[in-house]
Amino acid sequence: MKFSKSILVSAVSAIALAGIAGQVQADYPEEPISYVIPFNPGGESDITARFQEPVLEEILGVSVNVSHRPGGGGAVAWSEFQSNAEPDGYELIGVNIPHIIAQPILRSDAGYETDNWEIITFFHSTPNALIVPANSPFDTLEDLVDYARENPQVVTLGGSGTYSANHLDMLRLEREADIDLTYIPFSGTGPLPAALEGNHVAGVFNYTMLGVQMEDRVKVLAVASEERVPALPDAPTFKEQGYDIVGGAYRGVAAPAGTPDEIITVLEDAFAEANRRIAEKQEPLGFVMEYITGDQVDEVISQLKDAYAPILESAE
Amino acid sequence: MIIRLNTDMAAGAIGLAFAAVLWLGRGDIGRLSILFPRAILVILFVLSLLLFVKGFFRPGGRSIVISGSPWRLLVLILLLLVWWFAIGKLGFMVSSFLIMFFITWFLARVEGPVSWKRLLLWIPIIAVMVGGFYAIFTQVLNVRLPSGLLF
Amino acid sequence: MDMLLEALASLMTFEGLITVLVGVSAGLLIGSLPGLTATMALAVLLPFTFSMEPLQGLMALGAVYMGSIYGGAFTAILINTPGTPSSIATTFDGYPMARQGRAYEALAGATIASVIGGLVGVTFLLLLAPPLARWAVAFGPSEMFWVAMLGLTLVASLSSGSLLKGMIGGCIGMLLSTVGVSPVGGETRFTFGFPPLQGGIELIVALIGLFVIPELLSMAAEGRSNITESAELGKTKVGIRQVARHILGKPVNLIRSCLIGQVIAIIPGAGGNVTSLVAYNEAKRFSKDPQSFGKGNIDGVVASESSNNVMVAGSMIPLLTLGIPGAPPDAIILGVLLMHGLRPGLSLFTESGVLTNGFILSMGLAALMLLPVGLLGARLIHKIVIKTPYHFMVPAIAMVTILGTFALRNSLLDVGIMMIMGIAGFFLRLIGIHAAPIVLGLILGGIAEQGYVQTMLAAVVDPIPWLRLVENPLSKVLAALVLLGAATALLPGWLERSGRLDKGESSRGEDK
Repeated sequence: MKFSKSILVSAVSAIALAGIAGQVQADYPEEPISYVIPFNPGGESDITARFQEPVLEEILGVSVNVSHRPGGGGAVAWSEFQSNAEPDGYELIGVNIPHIIAQPILRSDAGYETDNWEIITFFHSTPNALIVPANSPFDTLEDLVDYARENPQVVTLGGSGTYSANHLDMLRLEREADIDLTYIPFSGTGPLPAALEGNHVAGVFNYTMLGVQMEDRVKVLAVASEERVPALPDAPTFKEQGYDIVGGAYRGVAAPAGTPDEIITVLEDAFAEANRRIAEKQEPLGFVMEYITGDQVDEVISQLKDAYAPILESAE
Repeated sequence: MIIRLNTDMAAGAIGLAFAAVLWLGRGDIGRLSILFPRAILVILFVLSLLLFVKGFFRPGGRSIVISGSPWRLLVLILLLLVWWFAIGKLGFMVSSFLIMFFITWFLARVEGPVSWKRLLLWIPIIAVMVGGFYAIFTQVLNVRLPSGLLF
Repeated sequence: MDMLLEALASLMTFEGLITVLVGVSAGLLIGSLPGLTATMALAVLLPFTFSMEPLQGLMALGAVYMGSIYGGAFTAILINTPGTPSSIATTFDGYPMARQGRAYEALAGATIASVIGGLVGVTFLLLLAPPLARWAVAFGPSEMFWVAMLGLTLVASLSSGSLLKGMIGGCIGMLLSTVGVSPVGGETRFTFGFPPLQGGIELIVALIGLFVIPELLSMAAEGRSNITESAELGKTKVGIRQVARHILGKPVNLIRSCLIGQVIAIIPGAGGNVTSLVAYNEAKRFSKDPQSFGKGNIDGVVASESSNNVMVAGSMIPLLTLGIPGAPPDAIILGVLLMHGLRPGLSLFTESGVLTNGFILSMGLAALMLLPVGLLGARLIHKIVIKTPYHFMVPAIAMVTILGTFALRNSLLDVGIMMIMGIAGFFLRLIGIHAAPIVLGLILGGIAEQGYVQTMLAAVVDPIPWLRLVENPLSKVLAALVLLGAATALLPGWLERSGRLDKGESSRGEDK
């Protein structure tokens, strides 16, 4: 017999491989997709995923299972994902800037790297906003800066977490305006309304959503976006007032490194379509919808890395 | 089983050991983060030392009582740990079925030898218990349970 | 008033009643599984409400919330495992009652207390929401520090036996709460270079481990079940009527527990676990027979369960009026409100008043439904637990605990932490360090730390920073309460000891 077994095997496997490669393009997705949120239920990431879930299921034709893996400000889920997840397109995880930039710089044991995955897209951002209570003596950003210049460290600003988007942009304001403020971290956005309402802090550095949610009880002094946010038309940007501060949290979704490009494209489109459909619900809440994909992802990351790295490195 | 042990001194020693482990393993953390744990560590150290010294002069209890069989206690501790380990290797279904079966047999032996008939009868009962909970958690509650070789 | 009637009408439809019934039952089931908390019950069942109208969806979730907080009592009583952290204090007397063969009595007591607590909370929410909401914002960092300290005075009454050992347990608990990312400062602590430990030690993981594993181990060692049937002991079965008469015959305990539940529910950041512990402690302190607590006194069960069910509706006061979640599960309700385009604030009670009132009333309805559903469920689950031979019981409980712990954060490491803490807890209990103070430290450690460090940060410009801790009138009052609480907790023990010393001396005197 000339026709050896090994030839047969390799021929069969070659056909099989070609078939599988073809199938990936044609048939993905055909199993349920797991979508891990590295935070507790009830937060912004969770709410967004809940909005997306039914739309994604409709577009992709398979069920999308949202599950939560909170811990370490996201780091536990991210480190687990980077070391365990299979690059088959069926395991996705929510990713957040600046967390994925700051944690690996600040922590020796974060357990993951900023770029060790394929970020499919950043689907929205929540710009930072400087918010003070309605009865605050400060009516404009200028008032606050002038007061802080004469009274260093007296102005206390609350925010969500340490070296979070809130904290980092507050530190940028300190640098830009050459003032000395006192930052008081709270655990998440949840306690901040009480801190404002009860005058426990002079103001908070948080996201635009809080400004929208508490519209009639607070004053939004400045928003850290390029242009004014649709939900807060009366709130000026930092740029308008002479401070080059544009920043906030970006939320997106990632697949494991090595996931085939075809799959990434399918998911990119699905998330973009989901974004368009949920925009009318999310924009009034203060979210800014984004459609950042491909090379733009790296651009955004490197741009914010440059903005935050000096602050983070001096913190270390 | 009764073991002679000065419980005050034992509890004090455990408090001291716990404080020592955390203090030596604290690594390099900033002022804000160490402020609170350091205060508690100091309090724990003082309390433990007090209890240890009190144990010398006015011991509270001099013996501890483990009611029942220490052998069964040890075996169950071991089985629980093996179970945990096995879930990661074999997956939830297989490991839980095996370990549950073993625990059931081990505990039922207290009343005397277990007949083959009973053992066979347990197979479907335990399979239904494990399978039922597996189904509820994976299908209804949407929890992805660890999978291993078979499931 | 019109709105109230309109809301009531929309509730009293067949569809409305079924929604609440299903919600309560589902919540009860999930809440009774250890590890599956009320927060998780809400998160898991949330997608089912997407297809519903806003009011129906909120009704379902309110019912789930009510059911799951109550469901925690089942396992607390029957297998010493708080199904949700709010039921910690229910184990203290509920489980001893079960061991004495009075499980059904305890379950009935918990049910009646829960129904009353739930209704009281709804009443507060309906009538007093706006004025009470002002309270919530009064609690700033320094006040929260004192609230935590006040909670820590409970160690004295929770450490059965040696106070010193109880305090050591509390310290161990507080230190365990510091593992992971620090709330202020953002660094990782005590992770020993092991990345997964960044997630820290979740309260519920420790809770399940410390409460259930030692029970399993002692069942295995003793070779029999810890729970007996009352008939075997020759005791007469206590009916639901007698239990109800007993509870309603002591209205002071109920009123006190409900008020405590309501006050603590409003404080953001202190959830049902704190309410039930404080209510239990006060019930014990004011009881004529404090020694019987912890040995199967139904008043302890009533205090714990009534106060934690007040919290369900009670914690919505700051949520609905100010957007401040009063307890962790409320964060999910907030998310749902936002998803439906409802913004927390007084407009919720005016513009969308029918919806809001309907939601509130549905929680009242859910509380009422706890009675039939709960009693039926109690009878069923009681029978199952009693009839199951212990060699099935032990592995089955272990499996459910493993599943629940895993499901909490999808973490196998948590399962390991749970087991190791449980095994350590068994031996610590032998030498007199009990689980309750450790858990208390774990609950309050984080609150205390955050309050303290935040206050110190804000006081960075003051000459003497720590004076900020007692700067506000409210924090002064709270600090005074802490001193008072510590004094009344320590004094009896101290008097007793000095009394004993006198006796000792006089007996020595007789020896001469």
